[in-house]
Amino acid sequence: GDSSSRRRRRSRWEQSNDESGAEMDPEVHNLNSRLLEISRLLQSGLPLDDRPESARSPSPEPIYDNLGIRINTREYRARERLNRERQEIISQLIRRNPAFKPPADYRPPKLHK
Amino acid sequence: GGALPTKVVCLTQVVSADELRDDEEYEDIFEDMREEGRKYGNLVKAVIPRPDPSGAAVPGVGKVFLEYADIDGSTKAKVGMHGRKFGGNQVVAVFYPENKFADGDYDD
Repeated sequence: GDSSSRRRRRSRWEQSNDESGAEMDPEVHNLNSRLLEISRLLQSGLPLDDRPESARSPSPEPIYDNLGIRINTREYRARERLNRERQEIISQLIRRNPAFKPPADYRPPKLHK
Repeated sequence: GGALPTKVVCLTQVVSADELRDDEEYEDIFEDMREEGRKYGNLVKAVIPRPDPSGAAVPGVGKVFLEYADIDGSTKAKVGMHGRKFGGNQVVAVFYPENKFADGDYDD
């Protein structure tokens, strides 16, 4: 995302090679469970934006694709948001554990425009 | 010292005085230590003595002190951090006397 430049560089701590140690790291654990949750949400087909009307921000002007289908629906934006978060979590997991095997559809942020 | 378990872990051979002089680097190191330290238990306090700008000797420079709420946390931290590398330095972790730490006496 745009905020990646403000992000802190990786810790000076050498990551422990011990797999069990990595699993005990609560932050990695949290990242993993959030990743799982997002993947489930994205695949569930359920409405992604379940905020009540009152909690929603005003909608932007509609944008349509070549076929006249609106592409910036609330649902679309919710999906984009989750996708961005998912990529960000994967980036963090890779930073913490270079041996982490990202999902096949993951693109490193620098190569992905 | 360092044989008897206390709530305070002292990491030696961790950082150089030069690194600690730079404000940003000091903050980074401090954050790295706090972040890592929290993984092992209830971290109460982290202390990283800084060199005096005048060049006068300050006791404890180069060490990092992590105080935990209980011996369980400090023991896990000592085991988990000892022997690992921090910025290329191999960390030595020992227990530090609680009374000395409370007095701000970092020269051991």
